[in-house]
Amino acid sequence: MVIPDYYEFSSRALIMAGHDALEQIPGLLLSMDAQKPMVITDQGVRRAGLVDILLQALDSRITVKTIQDDVPADSDLKTVHTLAGEYKKYGCNAIIALGGGSVMDTAKGVNILVSASSDNLLAFSGANALTHTLNPLVAVPTTAGTGSEVTRVAVISDTDNLRKLLFTSDFLIPDAAILDPRMTLTLPAPVTAATAMDALSHAVEACLCLGRNPLSTAHAHEAIALISHNLLPVIRQPDHKPGRLALATGAALAGMAFSNSMVGMVHTLGHAAGSVCHAAHGACMAVLLPYGMVYNLHKTQPLLADLLLPMAGADVYARTQPADRAQKAIDWVDRMNQRLHQATAGAHAVCLREIKSQDGKSRVTGHLLPKIAHTALGDGSIFYNPEDLDYDDCLMVLEAAFDGAPLDPSRVKKG
Amino acid sequence: MTDFMEISPGRHHGKRLYLACMLWFFGRAVQAAARVDDGVKSEFAAMPDNFTFCLGAFPSGPYMVVGKDAHGRVRHLGSSLADRTIHLHLMFKHPALLFRVFAFQENTPVANARNRLYVLGDVPQACAVVRIIDMVQVFLLPRFLAKRAVKRYPAWPLKRRTLIRAQVYARAFAGL
Ligand SMILES: [Fe+2]
Repeated sequence: MVIPDYYEFSSRALIMAGHDALEQIPGLLLSMDAQKPMVITDQGVRRAGLVDILLQALDSRITVKTIQDDVPADSDLKTVHTLAGEYKKYGCNAIIALGGGSVMDTAKGVNILVSASSDNLLAFSGANALTHTLNPLVAVPTTAGTGSEVTRVAVISDTDNLRKLLFTSDFLIPDAAILDPRMTLTLPAPVTAATAMDALSHAVEACLCLGRNPLSTAHAHEAIALISHNLLPVIRQPDHKPGRLALATGAALAGMAFSNSMVGMVHTLGHAAGSVCHAAHGACMAVLLPYGMVYNLHKTQPLLADLLLPMAGADVYARTQPADRAQKAIDWVDRMNQRLHQATAGAHAVCLREIKSQDGKSRVTGHLLPKIAHTALGDGSIFYNPEDLDYDDCLMVLEAAFDGAPLDPSRVKKG
Repeated sequence: MTDFMEISPGRHHGKRLYLACMLWFFGRAVQAAARVDDGVKSEFAAMPDNFTFCLGAFPSGPYMVVGKDAHGRVRHLGSSLADRTIHLHLMFKHPALLFRVFAFQENTPVANARNRLYVLGDVPQACAVVRIIDMVQVFLLPRFLAKRAVKRYPAWPLKRRTLIRAQVYARAFAGL
């Protein structure tokens, strides 16, 4: 590990993790003088019965003022403004965000508005536009993936103007992240697989990209080990509580890592595919991760080689020649995708054309690839990628990933 | 409370002058490249008219201001932020950090990853401006320096490396 001349790292969220972590919420809220929370969630989470489990864990000291379950799959500006109105109407003084990345980001947006008593979220978009601490926010993730429960980032769509607004600030880090395996026990296998691969991509990109530093790498390596050793066992046995807790911990660690070091081209292309085709983020990450590793191989060989240890374990690492370890790490991710594909009866996509919407239609079509490549050039994460990417590079990677064809390293321009 | 220490801004005159000169010439080169190079031209073409961006150091400069006027012509607008609407700021947090970049000790992507600058404005436009800065650096700098300034030294065709580069230099000196 080369120590950078300069780096920054912050991670201030309190993590409460364990098989009865939810029961810690009342005491936590009391300690923050926040007995009147609003619960923000979505309908899927409610149907899965997770809101009931949460309410049972709260006791008479806490009065849930309102439960809002209308958060769409992509957090958007209108929902944020509506929910901020409800927060004020019901006289709430805290938020419990119960859900995946969209719910978390919506809750962060609502918290900006109600804490600043503002009705214009746009005024706070961009980097470090917030200058004050926000009201108490407790994040209870129901997927093990985005890491939003510990990150300083929120992404909220401005659907009227077809753009995604990025908010970054240390004040956006939730006060506490509650990792309770009961929240992910019922997650369907394909969603478990895709979200875990999102978390894995956070950890891998945190290790490879330009913002890497010793602290983010330490978090990322442990995240990779937890995800690698527990993902397949959990897919095979979904109610495996220790495995679920390990995945949740891995996702939070990966979140802390990338929240500081940022992510690169896997997310650049994935964000673009998400906004052009509405392809699920986790599915895009799973497909694109090995391509990002191959593309950056010539610039990150030793860093990639180090990843083989947390991925495949000490035996495989020791048996592999040092010069072969980076390639072996790439192969390991490829093989993980193949195994997940088999274990989910083909539901886990291994190429972009296999990513389906809920009604079974292909999300990403070949003629949209140029548009995705063009959109990718405007995604801020492109700066953090070790190697440069122009339009042709993006398209080359997308075309290979579309069919699941290997990316020929000799076609990557090396300058 | 009278006996506080006065902090004198008088140090680092040399570095400041160096930066001001570099930014001044760089701004003229951006304007020149926008006239003669297709790559830079097409990045500017995607930006709206009356769009102005600045590159500089917090809190008091130096700055380089470049903009597109109402007719879509790209102009170097000098070094002052006064009386202007700036749509995009690429601002290093301290002149010494900007100096590191212009002294080729650290390239822009690494400086950005180390949180050395803040970007105020639209992210896709910021991406385009960084690509423009990269291309102009490749025009202006000898290969061994440009290789340190950009992530990947591009494989440009002969005409762009010679004829277009000569035009960028000539126009930047002449202020065309
Ligand atoms: Fe992600």
